[in-house]
Amino acid sequence: MLQCIFLLSDSGEVMLEKQLTGHRVDRSICGWFWDQSISQGDSFKQLPVIASPTHYLFQVFREGITFLACTQVEMPPLMAIEFLCRVADVLNDYLGGLNEDLIKDNFIIVYELLDEMIDNGFPLTTELNILQEMIAPPNIVSKVLSVVTGTSSNVSDTLPGATSSCVPWRTADTKYAQNEVYVDLVEEMDATINRDGALMKCEVYGEVQVNSHITGLPDLTLSFTNPSILDQVRFHPCVRFRPWESHQILSFVPPDGQFKLMSYRVRKLKSTPIYVKPQLTSDGGTCRLNVMVGSRNDHGKTIDSVTVQFQLPSCILSADLTSNHGTVSILADKTCTWNIGRIPKDKAPSMSGTMVLETGLERLHVFPTFRVGFKMMGVALSGLQIDKLDLKTVPYRFYKGFRAVTRAGEFEVRS
Amino acid sequence: MAPPPAHPQRSPSPSQPSGKSEVTDLRSQLRQLAGSRAPGADDAKRDLFKKVISNMTIGIDVSSLFGEMVMCSATSDIVLKKMCYLYVGNYAKVNPDLALLTINFLQRDCKDDDPMIRGLALRSLCSLRVANLVEYLVGPLGSGLKDNNSYVRTVAVIGVVKLYHISASTCLDADFPATLKHLMLNDPDTQVVANCLSALQEIWTLESTSSEEAAKERETLVSKPVIYYLLNRIKEFSEWAQCLVLELVAKYIPSDNSEIFDIMNLLEDRLQHANGAVVLATSKVFLHLTLSMADVHQQVYERIKAPLLTQVSAGSPEQSYAVLSHLHLLVMRAPYIFSSDYKHFYCQYNEPSYVKKLKLEMLTAVANESNTYDIVTELCEYAANVDIPIARESIRAVGKIALQQYDVNAIVDRLLQFLEMEKDYVTCEALTNTKLESSSMQVLVKDLLRKYPQWSQDCIAVVGNISSKNVQEPKAKAALIWMLGEYSQDMPDAPYVLESLVENWDEEHSAEVRLHLLTAVMKCFFKRAPETQKALGAALAAGLADFHQDVHDRALFYYRLLQYKVSVAESVVNPPKQAVSVFADSQSSEIKDRIFDEFNSLSVIYQKPSYMFTDKEHRGTLEFSDELANLSINAEAGDSAVPAQRVEANDNDLLLSITEKEEGRDAASNGSAYSAPSYDGASATSAASQSLADLAFSSTSGSGQAPASSFAIDDLLGLDFSVGAAATPSPPPLSLNPKAVLDPGTFQQKWRQLPLSLSEDFSLSPQGVAALATSNALLRHMQSHSIHCIASGGQSPNFKFFFFAQKAESASIYLVELLINSSSAKSQIKIKADDQSTSQAFSTLFQSALSKFGTA
Repeated sequence: MLQCIFLLSDSGEVMLEKQLTGHRVDRSICGWFWDQSISQGDSFKQLPVIASPTHYLFQVFREGITFLACTQVEMPPLMAIEFLCRVADVLNDYLGGLNEDLIKDNFIIVYELLDEMIDNGFPLTTELNILQEMIAPPNIVSKVLSVVTGTSSNVSDTLPGATSSCVPWRTADTKYAQNEVYVDLVEEMDATINRDGALMKCEVYGEVQVNSHITGLPDLTLSFTNPSILDQVRFHPCVRFRPWESHQILSFVPPDGQFKLMSYRVRKLKSTPIYVKPQLTSDGGTCRLNVMVGSRNDHGKTIDSVTVQFQLPSCILSADLTSNHGTVSILADKTCTWNIGRIPKDKAPSMSGTMVLETGLERLHVFPTFRVGFKMMGVALSGLQIDKLDLKTVPYRFYKGFRAVTRAGEFEVRS
Repeated sequence: MAPPPAHPQRSPSPSQPSGKSEVTDLRSQLRQLAGSRAPGADDAKRDLFKKVISNMTIGIDVSSLFGEMVMCSATSDIVLKKMCYLYVGNYAKVNPDLALLTINFLQRDCKDDDPMIRGLALRSLCSLRVANLVEYLVGPLGSGLKDNNSYVRTVAVIGVVKLYHISASTCLDADFPATLKHLMLNDPDTQVVANCLSALQEIWTLESTSSEEAAKERETLVSKPVIYYLLNRIKEFSEWAQCLVLELVAKYIPSDNSEIFDIMNLLEDRLQHANGAVVLATSKVFLHLTLSMADVHQQVYERIKAPLLTQVSAGSPEQSYAVLSHLHLLVMRAPYIFSSDYKHFYCQYNEPSYVKKLKLEMLTAVANESNTYDIVTELCEYAANVDIPIARESIRAVGKIALQQYDVNAIVDRLLQFLEMEKDYVTCEALTNTKLESSSMQVLVKDLLRKYPQWSQDCIAVVGNISSKNVQEPKAKAALIWMLGEYSQDMPDAPYVLESLVENWDEEHSAEVRLHLLTAVMKCFFKRAPETQKALGAALAAGLADFHQDVHDRALFYYRLLQYKVSVAESVVNPPKQAVSVFADSQSSEIKDRIFDEFNSLSVIYQKPSYMFTDKEHRGTLEFSDELANLSINAEAGDSAVPAQRVEANDNDLLLSITEKEEGRDAASNGSAYSAPSYDGASATSAASQSLADLAFSSTSGSGQAPASSFAIDDLLGLDFSVGAAATPSPPPLSLNPKAVLDPGTFQQKWRQLPLSLSEDFSLSPQGVAALATSNALLRHMQSHSIHCIASGGQSPNFKFFFFAQKAESASIYLVELLINSSSAKSQIKIKADDQSTSQAFSTLFQSALSKFGTA
C-alpha cells in the first residue's frame, strides 16, 4: 500500500505530490532522498528500494524525472516498482514525452491520471486505453477540437464503457468507417562478443505490437509459421492461454488502438548481421586502436544507423581517432562515439588512431567495451514469421498490415 | 507546557518573497469571479484555479484562499470541479470549519446524473478526512455502495476504508463491513470485488486486535468458498487486483493434494503475464502450496524459473533488481536450479551497478563443477572493466567461488594472473585502478592460501615479486605481511622486506597492519632467526612503545613469551597449520527460512525478516499469522495512547533482534514521527514530537497508573537524601548479583509469563536527563549498580530500556521496563519479578540508582 507519490525534477524540486492515504507524508522526505542521491553521486546508481528513517522509498528514474513512492507497510516491492514504471509509461504516452517542462505544463492532467490510477494506495487501472477514455490526452487534435467546438474540457463527460463491459480492456461500442489491423514485429538483438571474436551470447528480444481499429467486439487469431523458436513468452491480458498452449495460436479480443500483444525471446542465435572487430595494442605509453565494421549481409537488407560507442579508460590522456567513413566524436566525459550511418557497399568502414596514456603507464590494462547500435527495416532477425491473422465474430472486411524491424539492444564487443 | 498551536497560515519562506502578495492577488481575482455568470467566466476561473494549484504544488501555502475557492466552485465544468476537489482535499484538514462549506456542494454532486461526477464527488468527500464531518459521509457512502454504476461503487468501497480510518465506530455502526462482504461476493464488476477485498482485509485486520468477531471474519476471507470464488474469476480482475487475490491465496491452506493441483493448474497461465508483480505473486502461491511435497516443490522451481528469468531480462533495471533479489533467495535454497542458466546473470555493460552487483552474487551462488570455468572466465572479463567497484566485486566473487572448492586449479591460475598484472604495475606510480583491484584480491589470495596450503609454492613466486611499498590499502597490506611471515622460508628476501617495514613503523597508521607485522616478524624469526633477530628486536621495541592498546599488549605478550621459553613461543606463534574448510556463512538458516516465508515482500530485498525492520503496526494488513502479535507485552495500554502504542510496537523488535538493534532502530523510530520525519536527534525540540510526548504522558496518567506522581517525587527526593546521608553504614536491604546473566529469549518469555508486580511514575533529575544524551551512559551507570540492560531503543525525547537484575545468592530475577521522556523529565517503570514480595525493595533500589545517574 503506497502512501504518497512524488515526482521530482532533476534538480530535486518537487514537481508534484499526491497523497494517497490519511497519513500525510511530509515533503521533507524528498529532501532526505535528494541528499542521499547526491551523496551517492549519480541518482541512476541509487537503489530502487531504499529505507529512509521513516519510510520505505521506491524510486524509478526516467528521463531526468524521479518517480518516488513512500510506504511504511510491508508490501510486494515489485508491485510498487512495476506500478511506478507504468505511471512513467502512461505519462510518456499522454504527454508525448517525458520531461520537466511537459510535466509542469500539464500537471493538472497528471493529477487527474494519478487520481484514476491509484486510490487509497492501491493501484486501480493502468490500462492506457481506458484512461484515455476518461481523460483526454492533451494533444493537438483535442486542442483543435476545443477551439472549434468551444468546449475546452479535456475530460470526456461519459464514463468509459469498459468499466462496465465484460472485457475490461475494451469498450463495447467502438465504431470505425475503415477497419484495419497493423501488426509490427519489433526486435532487439542482444549480443556479447568476447575479445577473441567468439559469440558469447546472441539472442533477440521481440515484441508483437498491434494497432487495431475494428468496429464492435472482434475476436482475432494470429499464428506464426515457426512458433517453436519462441522462448519466454509474455502476453497482454487479452490473450487466451489455452489455444496458445495447445496449438501455439494467439487468440484474443484486442484493446482498441495501439498495444503490446506479446513479448518473447529467441535464444542461441548463431550469427549477427554485423561484425565489429576492435584491436588494441599498447606499448611505450601509447596505444593504437583500430576498429573494423562490416556487414555479414546474409539477409539482403541494408543496415542503417550504425554507431559504435565506447568509454575511454580514465588513464588515457588524449586520443586522436579518425575514420574513413562517418564521424568520430569524443565528449568531455570520455565517451567516444563513431557514427557510421549506413554501411557502404564498396568499402568496409574503419576507425583508427592513437591514444596517449598517462605518464608512467607503459601499457593499457583496462579494456573498453564497444557498444554497437544498428537498425534493419523489414526483417526480424530472430527468424520469426507471421503465418496469418484471422478475424472471427465480426463480419467485416478489414485491412491487415505487417511490418518488421530489428534494432541493436545490448550489443557489446569486448576488447 | 504544550507548545502554542501552529498558526494556520505560515509566513512565507524567504525564498518565496512573492508568495504572499501573489496569494492576495489571487484572492481578489477569485472574489470578482465568484458570483459571475458571464460567458467565459469558467475559462478565467480555470486559469485562476490552475495558478492556485500550481502554487500549492510548489509548496506555497494557499490555504487562506479556502473560502474564495469554495465560493467559486459552484460550476458545471468538470475540470474546474476536479481542481477544486484537489484543492479542498489538500487543505480541509487544516480548515475543518471551512470544510463544512464544501460539504454542501459535494453532497449535491454525489447526486449528479453523471456517474463520473458522482464518483469524483464521493472520492473527494471521503478524502476530506475531517473528524467532525463524518456524519455527512454515511448517507452518500450508503447510496454510493448501491449505485448502479460500477465506477461509483468502486469509489464508494474505498471510501468506506477512508471513513473507517477517520472514525471506526461510525463505519461499524453503519454496518458497512457487512455490505462490503455482500458486494464482494455478488458484484458483477471485478474492480468492485477487488476493492471490497482490500477494504475488508484492512478493516478486519485492524479491528481483530479488539474484536473476536472481526478476527473470525478475517479468517473467512481465506476460507474455501471465498478463495474458490475469487480464483474462478481471476482472469477478469485487473492485474493489480490479481496481485491482491494471489497474495490472499498464498495464505490459504488447501485440505488435500488434489486441491493444490487444481489451484496450480488454474493459475499456471498467470506465470505468462506481462506484469512482473503478478508473476512473482503467482510464484509465491506455488512455492507455498507445495512446501510439504518435496518432489513437487522441486518441479515448481523448474516451472517458475523461466518466467522469472524473463522478468530479469525484459524489465527495466528497477524491475530486474527486485526480481533478482528474489532469485537470490531461491538460489540459496536450491543452488542447482539455475546452474545451467548462469548466462542469464552475465552483466551488461550499461546496467546500473546495483543490478550488476546482484548478478555477481548470483553467479557466485550458481557456480558448480560444470560451469565454474565459464563463470570465472566471465568474471575475469569484468576485472578489466572500467567500473572500478564492479571490477573489485568480481575479483571478490572469483575468490568466493574458489573457496567453494570447485576446480581450484583454474581459479588459482586466474588469481595469479591478476597478481602478475599487478607485477607490471609495480613499477608504475601511484594508485591506479588495477592496483585497487589487486589489493582487494590479495586479501582473497590470503584466504585461499589458508585453505589450500599446497598452492603456496606457486603463489609465493608471484607474491615475492610484489613490493610492499606499492600496496596501499591496509587490508591488502596486512594480507601481504601475513604471507611474508607465513612463507618466509620460501621467500629469500622476506626478512629484509619485513625489516624495512619495521623501520617505517611510525609511518604505518593502521593498527591492523602493525599487529600483522608483529606476528609476521615473530614467525619469520622462528624460521630464519639469524636474519630476523634485528628486525624482531626493533619491532618489539616499537610495539611496546606503541600508543595503540592492542599492539602494545601483543608486543608485550610476545616479549614475555620469548623471555619464558622460546619453544613455547614458537608453538604459540607457529602452530602446525590446518586448512580452513569452510568460512562461516553469515546468515543462519532459520532467518533464511523466515525470509522465504515472506517471499514477494521487502524482506527479500533487505535479506532480513520483516520483524527486524518494520514496526508491528505497519506490517502489512495481509499479515495473518503474526506470531509476534501474540507477544503483546503491554496489553494494558489503551488504544487512545497512540505514541505509547507505537513505542510498544517497537518492543517486540527490540527484544527479538538485539543483535540487529542498530538496523532495527532506524525502522523502529518510525513511530515517533509519522508526519514530521526527524532524521536525527536534533529534532528533539520540534513542536510536533513535543506534543506527542505530552500526549503520551497524559494518557498514561489518564489510565490511572500515576495517581501520585508528585508523591513519587517527594519519595524520591527523600530517598535521595537518605541514601546520600547514610551511604555506607546500613547496607541496602536487597543486594544484587553483579554477574547476572539472562539471554534475550528467556527475558522475553519471562516478561510474557510474569504478572506486573509494580508500576511507578517519577521524575528524573535535570542532570540525569542531560546525561541521557550520551549513548549507553545510562546502561553503564546501571550496570555499576548490578542492573543489566538487555535492550534499549527509542528516539529523543522518548527512550525505552529493558533491564534485568538477579538477587544475590538466589535465582530470583527482576525484569524492568523503563520509559523516559527527556523533554518532560518524567519516567515510568514497570517491574516484574519472580519473587513478588521483594519487588518493592527492588523498585526502591532501582530508583535510587537511577536518581544518582548524571550526578556522579
